[in-house]
Amino acid sequence: MSGWRRGARVGALALALAGCSRARNEPAPLSLRVEPATAETRLLLVAAPGWKINARLKPALEIANGEVIRFDAPHLTPDSAYFADVPWATIPGRPQVVRGILRASVCAAGEKVCRAVTMEVKTET
Amino acid sequence: MPRAPLILALATLMAGAGPRPAPAWRNASWLNAEKPVTLESLRGRVVLLNFWVFTCYNCTNTVPSLVDFDSKYRDQGLTLIGIHTPEFPPYSGEHDKGNVQRALERYHIRYPNTQDNDSKTWDLYGIRAWPSFVLIDKKGRIRYEGAGEFHVGDGSYQLWDSRIRELLAEQ
Repeated sequence: MSGWRRGARVGALALALAGCSRARNEPAPLSLRVEPATAETRLLLVAAPGWKINARLKPALEIANGEVIRFDAPHLTPDSAYFADVPWATIPGRPQVVRGILRASVCAAGEKVCRAVTMEVKTET
Repeated sequence: MPRAPLILALATLMAGAGPRPAPAWRNASWLNAEKPVTLESLRGRVVLLNFWVFTCYNCTNTVPSLVDFDSKYRDQGLTLIGIHTPEFPPYSGEHDKGNVQRALERYHIRYPNTQDNDSKTWDLYGIRAWPSFVLIDKKGRIRYEGAGEFHVGDGSYQLWDSRIRELLAEQ
């Protein structure tokens, strides 16, 4: 993943946090980055410091047309529970705007619980 | 009103309120149970609710402790109930009864579990994270609540173990 990341331009991102269904009133533990590539757009899900993303329940972006895109990464932590890399997903083409509902299961270091995060996202590439 | 007396008054009020009654769940889909298990039917038993989902690593790591509690205390009056509450919509597979059944077999869970696919029981108990625990006494009152993974023999395990024994010893 590092190969394409080096050459990609980081797109402008507008992230609207509409609410975390299970972690309301807490700072967003995730952010979404958009990196346009040649024939597709890559979305990267970045965990805030101290947070891990559950790899057993791959994050999902429910886009406006009803399609569900799942995020994945090649490397997991030794217990296979969390992503060791930044999980990413691709969408075809280079849409000007990506809009949808982002879902992820996240775990805070030291807390030993999982929390479901639901965010309304609108990204401009 | 000065702050200290206000805090004292609130504390007195809260202390006087005592344990609150556990709300009755109405889940329809059950596993490891011949018929739906109701809170009313468990009056006289200590009940430990475990809110979990098989996609949660912290939840499945805690299962051996719960299986241990079930093995040690079922005959003494403890009923463990798994409340399986999905994190994602149905495309995740968490709502599928077959998947839940396979998880029960994989983790050797023999106590009743119910599917909380609409999160109604989760909301009823004000749960916020997986795994969470609610310990209900023989009179149907919530006595202890908590969240977070634990392991057989660790400090949290011993705390829950002592709480269970405390409530089992009550009349």
